[in-house]
Amino acid sequence: MKKNMYLKSVIMLSMFCFLSLSVAEARIKLVALPKRADTIIRLDNPQFTLIEEERVLTLQQGLNKVDFSWNGVSIDPDSIRIDILSHSDQVTLLNVSYPPNENALVWEISSAGAREEKIRVSYLLSNIDRLITYKSVADKAETQVNFKSHLILRNFSGEDFANAKVLLDYGESFEEGIRHEETKQLLFLKAGTVPIEKVWQWDSKKQIWDPEEVDQNVGIPVHYRITNTTDSNLGQNALWNGKMRVFQLDGHGSTILLGEDAVDLTPVGEDMEVYIGDSRDLVVTQRKMVDKQTNIRRNTSGRVVLYDNEEQVTAKIENFKDTNAKLKMVQHIPGEWDMHSCNFEYKKENANTIEFEIDVPAQGKAELVMHYFRRNIRN
Amino acid sequence: MKWIPLVMCFVLVSGGICEAKVDLVSLPSRDSVQLTIYNSADLTLAKESRSLTLKEGFNDLQFSWANTLIDPTSLELVPLTNADRIDVQALTYPPRVKNLGLWNIDSGLSGQIPVEISYLTSGLSWRAFYLGTLTPDEKEMRLKGYVRVLNNSGEDYENAQVRLIVGKVHIIDQIAQLAQRQYPYERPGIYPAAQPEVHSKRSRQDVRVMKSVMMGEGIAFGSVAPMETKEIIKEGLSEYFLYTIEGRETILNGWSKRLPSFDVASVPVVNLYKYEEERYGYQVIRFLSFKNDEDHLLGETPIPGGLLKVFRNVDAENHLSYEGQSEFKYIPIDEDVELNLGAVQNIVVEPKLMNLKTENFMFDRHGNINGWDEVRTYKMEVKNTRQVPVEVEIKRNFNALKWDIHNEGAEVKYEKIDANTVKYKLALQSKENKTFQYTLRTFHGRRGDHK
Repeated sequence: MKKNMYLKSVIMLSMFCFLSLSVAEARIKLVALPKRADTIIRLDNPQFTLIEEERVLTLQQGLNKVDFSWNGVSIDPDSIRIDILSHSDQVTLLNVSYPPNENALVWEISSAGAREEKIRVSYLLSNIDRLITYKSVADKAETQVNFKSHLILRNFSGEDFANAKVLLDYGESFEEGIRHEETKQLLFLKAGTVPIEKVWQWDSKKQIWDPEEVDQNVGIPVHYRITNTTDSNLGQNALWNGKMRVFQLDGHGSTILLGEDAVDLTPVGEDMEVYIGDSRDLVVTQRKMVDKQTNIRRNTSGRVVLYDNEEQVTAKIENFKDTNAKLKMVQHIPGEWDMHSCNFEYKKENANTIEFEIDVPAQGKAELVMHYFRRNIRN
Repeated sequence: MKWIPLVMCFVLVSGGICEAKVDLVSLPSRDSVQLTIYNSADLTLAKESRSLTLKEGFNDLQFSWANTLIDPTSLELVPLTNADRIDVQALTYPPRVKNLGLWNIDSGLSGQIPVEISYLTSGLSWRAFYLGTLTPDEKEMRLKGYVRVLNNSGEDYENAQVRLIVGKVHIIDQIAQLAQRQYPYERPGIYPAAQPEVHSKRSRQDVRVMKSVMMGEGIAFGSVAPMETKEIIKEGLSEYFLYTIEGRETILNGWSKRLPSFDVASVPVVNLYKYEEERYGYQVIRFLSFKNDEDHLLGETPIPGGLLKVFRNVDAENHLSYEGQSEFKYIPIDEDVELNLGAVQNIVVEPKLMNLKTENFMFDRHGNINGWDEVRTYKMEVKNTRQVPVEVEIKRNFNALKWDIHNEGAEVKYEKIDANTVKYKLALQSKENKTFQYTLRTFHGRRGDHK
């Protein structure tokens, strides 16, 4: 009989009166199968999904045994909790026992009288989760995007949920049914117009220094920077990590896809950087024009034991576009060093990384010249 | 045979998911379709407009895409009118059905509603290629650009507006793999693994592609207007260029189509020959150089990367000789172009080491050598055996970081390229030879300490 029940619903709550039977006998005597009432699927933790379901038990005065079992789904047994909702002062959970070789547990509940009691059962259920995706549509001038986010609800838990309240850690809840092996896409954030900053970024460790030396174009990565603040029509909550697709209006009533990126979780007040594609109309050619040892110290055998290295690096930036471009340039200098001269201001990101923001006029050029000494290099 | 993404509209009796597949109301056909095809990735943005018949209340709209290469996570439905009264509430991918999605639409009105359905698909691609014809004196080149659009998507696109994107788009998932997933967003806890690429249908398509190549290109595959009247409209968008092919195109699955992109009668070009041992070995490489600007009758748009085959008119009857081919990269507006046509023997660069000496030895307190100079004199012989004037660029790299260089005898000057490279540039007339000499002094050991 129990097997037949499993076919209908994989998570079961069954109830029986405690007469004088042992647990093993009693569990065969199914008395009532309380129906699942309100169900909440809580997705605020990206790793674990918490299910809360409310049911009404018909309790007898005295000791009641409530059997909770599951089959074909993965529930963490230690996570299962029961809350007595209606008469918590008169209804007491006495103990929990686990029958051998079964996905089940038995609650022993004592009730002061015969009554209907509302309880809430909660547990962590595997293979049901959510993803977040973003879609942005930029204007032609690339100053703002229309920003929205979808919730992707994936249920592969083995359990059908006819109707449940789906909760994230923020935003409105959804009343949704979701069946086993079903995936649903739901719009959950519509921020409207969000300003963006377009940034080109060149990193001396990641990009090729001399594009003439290679047969492929050396693209300069282009990012859209979105700030998660109320000024940007966002800023209510952190934006979860997820996949973002960026489109752009083409001026003819249609759009093109600019690119897609996996964005990181962005707390309030911080920037979300979306790598959309590579610019081939901005060309950086970096060369080391001076590279020599100075201030050489030798031991008594004449071997060089300590020296400084004088280096001069020039980076020519050509903008073939008909608009100005702000290039973020990241330079790395290993070890200890002194800047002797540099024709642009920079920000020291850490001991070995400096960052420039260089404005390059439309169809114009800029040249960065850094002259520095790497100090006290041991041989 | 056509594999069409089907749109079916259902009116729900009681709004439950289980009852979705009842009461077929309409099967709207595609009114128009626009394809935006990328070439840096296997990616096409397709937009179709269709007219749906909606009832007031809840409507479920079924969209299926079996045998196509559509990315189901990219599907979007947008009402083109009455957007405030039509709420697309969810897109459901029902269990145990592949290639099918249900849009749950809450409509505040009933009647015909134009909607736009967009998605990303793989299998359509394009590439640029070029044919160049030099004048007999090799001072000018007629440059013709073409694009070739290939449809291997599993779907026939008839009377489509075709647009091409020039640019390097960043994507994190391959559309072809997204299209082949069992579940659009995979299962929880399962990370997307590379899917086997071939299924039976693809191999059939491959056969069809090969057939179209054998049949040749440039055939009008039932297109409405004659091909030669088509123009490609080019405009910049973000970091990309958008090429819109005039009118409508029909590209059936498995077919490809060649379309002319531009034709410039006489681009001034320079015959440039390069010699750099570290890069090309002991041989001279021929380059054809010009600039993507107005002076060269170009410069309107960047030139997408592709293969250029270069021919030359050899006589008054315009007979051709084949000069070589070059795969080149994307050329921005105003950028110099150097097309590598390969190694040649009719321009000769011969560096000869004429003299080597060492001097200025230094010794440590044990009497061992710890510093010296090496002085090398090179004679460079450069010969143009051709009938046309040429330019020759010679790069010399030095192993030492501390060096001095002196030229002797010739009018040539060098340009310092980086810490240990210099470049000489020479112009040679037809059948002219030039010789110059330079002396390179490199400093070693303690001799380099204070240089």
